[in-house]
Amino acid sequence: MRLLVVEDNEELAELLAKGLRTAGYQVDVLSTVEEATSVLLTTFYAALILDLGLPDGDGLALLREIRHRNNPIPVLVLTARGGLHDRVHGLRSGADDYLVKPFALEELIARLEAQLRRPGHLLGSALRIANLEFDTRNRQASIDDQPQLLSARETAVLELLMRSKGRVVSKKQVEDHIFGHSGEVASNAIEVYVHRLRKQLSERGAKVQVHTIRGVGYLIAEEK
Amino acid sequence: MIRFQSIISRIVILHVVAVVIASIFMSLALSWLLSYATNNIHNEAMQEQAVTVGQHLSARPDGRLELNLPLDLLGLYSQAYGRYLYAVIDDQGRVLFSSLADHAALFPVDARSSDVEFLQQRRGDATVSGASIKKTVGGQTVWIQTGENLANRDVLIDDIVADFYKNVGWITLPILLVLLIADIAIFRRALRPLWQASEIARDIGPTRTDLRLPTEEIPREVRPLVSAINLALDRLEEGFRIQRDFTADAAHELRTPLSILRTRLDTLEDKQIGQALRKDVDGMAHIISQLLDIAELDSFVVDPDEKADLRSVTAEVAEFVAPLALTQGKDVALLGETEPVWVKGNPEMLSRAIRNLAENAINHTAPGTTVEFFIDENGTVSVLDRGPGVAEHERNLIFQRFWRRDRRKAGSTGLGLSIVQRIAELHSATITLENRRPAGARFSLKFIPLRP
Repeated sequence: MRLLVVEDNEELAELLAKGLRTAGYQVDVLSTVEEATSVLLTTFYAALILDLGLPDGDGLALLREIRHRNNPIPVLVLTARGGLHDRVHGLRSGADDYLVKPFALEELIARLEAQLRRPGHLLGSALRIANLEFDTRNRQASIDDQPQLLSARETAVLELLMRSKGRVVSKKQVEDHIFGHSGEVASNAIEVYVHRLRKQLSERGAKVQVHTIRGVGYLIAEEK
Repeated sequence: MIRFQSIISRIVILHVVAVVIASIFMSLALSWLLSYATNNIHNEAMQEQAVTVGQHLSARPDGRLELNLPLDLLGLYSQAYGRYLYAVIDDQGRVLFSSLADHAALFPVDARSSDVEFLQQRRGDATVSGASIKKTVGGQTVWIQTGENLANRDVLIDDIVADFYKNVGWITLPILLVLLIADIAIFRRALRPLWQASEIARDIGPTRTDLRLPTEEIPREVRPLVSAINLALDRLEEGFRIQRDFTADAAHELRTPLSILRTRLDTLEDKQIGQALRKDVDGMAHIISQLLDIAELDSFVVDPDEKADLRSVTAEVAEFVAPLALTQGKDVALLGETEPVWVKGNPEMLSRAIRNLAENAINHTAPGTTVEFFIDENGTVSVLDRGPGVAEHERNLIFQRFWRRDRRKAGSTGLGLSIVQRIAELHSATITLENRRPAGARFSLKFIPLRP
């Protein structure tokens, strides 16, 4: 899977490329808006990692140009500023996610994978926490490589939690994921599904824990 | 010296003074002109009468002069009528003819006088005013004097003078008042662009540094002031821009080398060394982030029109810090209001303040306990922990930059609460701090609520 890194600091660009290659990606590195614009016209990349401050222009300008051409490539913005104006601007101009420098390479790869696993961005690999695995292609959960049979609703909740590994999924997100935006949802319906999922996982020996963050949402993590 | 607060009041006062002075002078001038004109008419009439009397003066063969006045003139000069008088005097000063009972001259005669003279003389309790002309009749020089007793003066003339103020004088006052009103109207019109400029100036502030006062319609006399203000605004805007650019540049210059360092550590072969160094770099990055936050806050101004949903901002913070809390064996909960709570303020700034309170609470709360966020519909967010609480003598210290209770403790920069305090100040929010029973602290931030 080929990624494009647009970063003007050579040292950082090389280090990023090295890290991403270790993680199994093929990486091209460019340092200017101009180069990136022309290369993106002819070459298909699975994702773009874009620094905002570039010598010949603002990374956001490139981003707008890409979106203007209806190129749906997932874009992960790197920003040194981290200011509030940057954040709002970046996401409005069409970035899918952003990271403030300095960031952990692990975090970058995790965010990248989250983008690549979105519908339409097929990343076939299974999601995994401890001994629990979830294959996004056939939506099959397995514990210790033993396929598990879960109800459709439990599977949906598990999928969402696994996709958001390391992050809190709000109750609203779970609702939308399971019931769509329409329809009345009983106030405790989500809690019931999460409770059932939690029970199923622990009964079957999964070494994961589904945390309930009261008033906020849910988070799946390795059992301590 | 009286100091006038407004140009209009200055104009009104000075104009009223001018109106009073002008009214007095105009009246005096007009009445002087009027009496001058009536005097002229009187003098001419008297001269004419003298000429007429002279025409009826003739020399007899014996050389003596005789006066044969026709009947109508005799009536005019009659004692009974008593208004007009005449006398004829020869060059010896003898009175030849006189309409007066005592056969006297009307005015003293002076041989050196010119051909026509206008004179006035008091006679008893009356004043006689008239003319004296020099004429030669039959080789003799005589002075013919005619006069009018002013006590019996023509009623018409008297009326004109007497009624002058009643009929004419008052008209100057309204004319001058109309002028005054016209002047005020002109001035108000001329000042209108200034009022419009003031309206624009009212909106200029740290959040709107791009506005400038219009100069097109401003009166030329005031334009230098307006232009100077605009130039001053240019300089201020430049100052703001430099400050903001500096913060952004500093962030870039500091964070890029840190990113390189961080990524280099992440790609190290020796995972163990990497692990320890990563922690150091993260700590350094945290301090730099907070210093940059402080620098940004120093030049940050809250747009008065901005609003934030305190509930959703807090929920985002809770989502963000929950994984951190869980890895430390601590929990997070969001309680209180479940509907949006709108307050005045910048959402990102509110988020930073709450995040710093949250990180502080997670650092201090005991393992196995829960950090609670509580939203009140009155615009208050509280962050509650189960840590050691804050001792009385530390209450002010904790908000000071770089203050830490335990300097050996890692992960604390001593900047978090000072950021919270600065953001609270910028939003006119109040911070309250209470200790909880049996242990713990409750930090509350009360923002200005907006009614939906």
